[in-house]
Amino acid sequence: MLNNFFNPKSIAVIGASRTPGKIGYDILKNIIQYGYKGAVYPVNPEAQEILGLKVYPSTLDVPGEIGLAVVAVPPQKVSEVIGQCGDRGIDAAVIITAGFRESGSEGTKLENELVKRAKESGVRIIGPNCLGVIDTHSRVNASFAAGMPNKGSIGFFSQSGALCIAVLDRALAEDIGFSKFISMGNKADISDTDIMLALAEDDNTKVILGYIEGVNDGRRFMEVASQISKKKPLIILKSGITSSGAKAASSHTGALAGREAAFDAAFKQSGVIRAHSVGELFNYALAFANQPLPEGPNVAIITNSGGPGIIAADACERSDLQLVPLHKETVDELRTFLPPVASFYNPVDILGDATAERYEKALYTVVQDEKVNGVIVLLTPTAVVNVEGTAKAIANIANLIDRPILTSFMGRKSVESSSKILMKYNVPNYSYPEEAVSSLNAMCRYQVWINRPDKTYARLDDLKEKVLHIFEKVREEKRERLSEPEVYEVLKTYGFLQPKSLWARTSEEAVAAAKRIGYPVVMKIISPQIVHKSDIGGIKINLNSKKEVGDAFFDITTRVKDIMPTATIYGVMIQEMILGGKEVIIGITKDAQFGHMIMFGLGGIYVEVLKDTSFRIVPLSHEDAREMIRETKTFPILRGVRGETEADIAAIKKSLLILSQMALDFPQIIEAEINPLLVKKRGEGVVAIDARFTIGGD
Amino acid sequence: MISLYVGSTSGYSGKSLVSTGVGHKFKKDGFRVGYFKPVGILPIKVENILMDKDAWFIYRVLELKDPIAEICPVVLTQELTVKAYLKDIKGLLGRIKRSFQRLSEDKDIMIIGGYGSIYSGSVSGISGLKVIRRLNAKAVIVVKYEGEFCVDYILQAKKDLNDHFIGVILNKVTHEYKQGVEDYIIPFLKRKGVDIIGILPHDSIVGSITVEELNEMLGGKVLCCHDRLNNLVEHFLIGAMQVDKATEYFKRTKNNAVIVGGDRADIHLSAIESGTECLVLTGELYPSEIIIARAEQRDIPIIVVRDDTYTVAKKVERLSVRLRLRDKTKVAHGMDLVMENVNFPLLYKKLGINIGQ
Repeated sequence: MLNNFFNPKSIAVIGASRTPGKIGYDILKNIIQYGYKGAVYPVNPEAQEILGLKVYPSTLDVPGEIGLAVVAVPPQKVSEVIGQCGDRGIDAAVIITAGFRESGSEGTKLENELVKRAKESGVRIIGPNCLGVIDTHSRVNASFAAGMPNKGSIGFFSQSGALCIAVLDRALAEDIGFSKFISMGNKADISDTDIMLALAEDDNTKVILGYIEGVNDGRRFMEVASQISKKKPLIILKSGITSSGAKAASSHTGALAGREAAFDAAFKQSGVIRAHSVGELFNYALAFANQPLPEGPNVAIITNSGGPGIIAADACERSDLQLVPLHKETVDELRTFLPPVASFYNPVDILGDATAERYEKALYTVVQDEKVNGVIVLLTPTAVVNVEGTAKAIANIANLIDRPILTSFMGRKSVESSSKILMKYNVPNYSYPEEAVSSLNAMCRYQVWINRPDKTYARLDDLKEKVLHIFEKVREEKRERLSEPEVYEVLKTYGFLQPKSLWARTSEEAVAAAKRIGYPVVMKIISPQIVHKSDIGGIKINLNSKKEVGDAFFDITTRVKDIMPTATIYGVMIQEMILGGKEVIIGITKDAQFGHMIMFGLGGIYVEVLKDTSFRIVPLSHEDAREMIRETKTFPILRGVRGETEADIAAIKKSLLILSQMALDFPQIIEAEINPLLVKKRGEGVVAIDARFTIGGD
Repeated sequence: MISLYVGSTSGYSGKSLVSTGVGHKFKKDGFRVGYFKPVGILPIKVENILMDKDAWFIYRVLELKDPIAEICPVVLTQELTVKAYLKDIKGLLGRIKRSFQRLSEDKDIMIIGGYGSIYSGSVSGISGLKVIRRLNAKAVIVVKYEGEFCVDYILQAKKDLNDHFIGVILNKVTHEYKQGVEDYIIPFLKRKGVDIIGILPHDSIVGSITVEELNEMLGGKVLCCHDRLNNLVEHFLIGAMQVDKATEYFKRTKNNAVIVGGDRADIHLSAIESGTECLVLTGELYPSEIIIARAEQRDIPIIVVRDDTYTVAKKVERLSVRLRLRDKTKVAHGMDLVMENVNFPLLYKKLGINIGQ
């Protein structure tokens, strides 16, 4: 797929220029100078010869077959050129030219026209407004980048051309190899997912690296990413995630689910390794491209100084990695050659006077310990240490064993050469211990992901038909919200327990209702204009007597009337007061790119302050539901703190799966939340205390 | 004993203001004054007795001593309203009459506060018109002047009230309306036999709202300066512009509250620097501690509300038509306004009171 972009038999540079410094010149020069073996055809109606090559006035005049067209003509002419490419049977074009969608409405028009023309002509497009593409294995450098990276196994695609240049520049300085380099530009035709698929099929690419600002089709992205991530690590840096969010949605769920949450969930569910900075993107890529995956989270640290060892240990503590205690045999063996004041336990401190030989022996001993899944070797460049010798010694052992070894030779000046040695032998070296730890951690998580059994989905009864009429009615009446009786009916049908409730119009009716339900009771105002009842004092709990119910009726109705004179008061709802249990919130929300998401979090009135919530994209698998509950910081509270019994976590999980089914059954749901969902003791289930549903769209 | 019914052709027209003001003047002139609110619409329990909030307020301002239970014999609670819709309730008018008689026994003048318009209350069979006739009161009509159409309502009220009608008080006459009122409306009304008992100009203090009331009505949360909730807000501004324009804009309007999204730290700061009375942050977005600290330094309360800016703006727009006389500063100011702008000699004459000069 997309073979002609990366391994074309010949290349036409349309818009080739005679003037050094012009993009049309630099591209041609790059193609020639980095050893491309196929035919190269410059196209320019005004030139005869450029860089020793014969120039053709138009694509149509080129004699031979053309595999790839690289287009650098002015924006107004691009469409026409692509039409000609189609006529010549070219199916791949990289459009470097800028001045399209990124430049305003005129440019957008041009781009639409271009896409249409390309479709009609059967030409696939990378760009426009991009840096170009590079393939180090087929020696294609169809870009205006300043340089060509080494051959390697990292495939990089980026929405930002500038980031491409920056990454390339660092790669050149540190001898880091890449397989392919693709600047995506405006993504008018070929999308991130297309490129991800192409890189997944590419034998030269071991690790896929990407920078994206947004995706067009969230669902498709997840589908493709899930497929690929099982085969190759897919590391992505996503920008533009800070909450711009001033839009107050009609319920908590909407307020908490920004795009950030959607991407986070999507990445987690499809096994994408998420980098949070350009640095991380690089660091992860180096680790994944050069070292085997660890088989477990157990890590050993070898260091020649205490401080960095502690820093690394702290970083491990914050990650999924474990500083594993070494076997007695390992410790005994270390004692035989390390000075007596060394530390023989993990982190192993072999002291500041450590020689290359001592490093080598210590590392060799530690990797013999079968409990150790990976090793991080730290080095502080003291005056006595032979950094290059140590680098070689570590590289020797790293190449002997099939467990990951990452290093952090700290500093810069005195470790520059040793860093290159390590890189040469495929041992990634990091400036600081935390980077090594987080990279190994990412590998460890990825190992868990690829070994994860296939997702399993719940089979729920088909309940849709039973409540379809409710959603139809709401739509016919052009309402956005389900009324309380409607919500009650929907939740009941889907199997949620709810407190016994009775409607009352007067205080006498309220008292009678309370008697039927049994004290204590809860009283809530019922008014179509009031969504957040507690904000305006529309809820009273723990009412224990006739008098309390009567007074509460007066207080609630008076207060609401006072604050919102225009609100219609239908009466109050008298509800059974459920005692005990823990409050959580579960909900459905809809993201523009990924569709429905399910939300889980600690509930009650603090939900919006704590923001301790997790999200997953629908449909939810059993595994998703389980993970999203465990992911929250407040999870231990559900487990039970200080002798409390455990809450019914299985019932929460089931509730999340039911919501996921509901979202599938009713795509028109924009937002739904059950808050609070009261979780009782293990085995006793959950009760939906309050809920709301908002629908819209089709 | 003379009974003066203060009624109107629409709600929130300034009846409480007029009742308080004239009550105060009557007292000053040496009369034994009573206040009676036949029908209350703002229920409150005082010493476990059902009362009306406005009535309770006026009762205290006029320093009355009558039994609370008689002041407001009928209070339209949710309960009573629902029951009235479901089944005719009888006997309310009788109850009103009895309370009135007991209250007025030792009084020279009884001020009777109407509710809504003189036509409201027909659901429970106790409209203002009926009450006026039953209590045989003289009625002054307070009209919030909002344009020429008010004239039609005044003439209709005069016709319906017949002999009970003694004249009108035009309230909240803004600067823009003043000349039109003087040149056309007053001569016209006089020609039609309507006496103008007073013309109260629009007053921004009387038309203001305390931060506390504002917070309550918006269902918000106060983040700081709890001791400054009595700040009076006269105008509302939306902070939606670029920050360089903001300070200038805020400074142009006195005693304002700024409504702005909770995430616009730049606007928050310029509002605070410009000395706003209150910051209303929308979207349930909390400001950073820096903003709160700065507001505390400048004694500016911040409230956070759930609604978005537009919804809040709509709500405060509605607020201004249903302001209540509660705050002390407002009351003192309001009474002065009545004293200065009501033609008391004419009022006395219409009531048939001869004040010994």
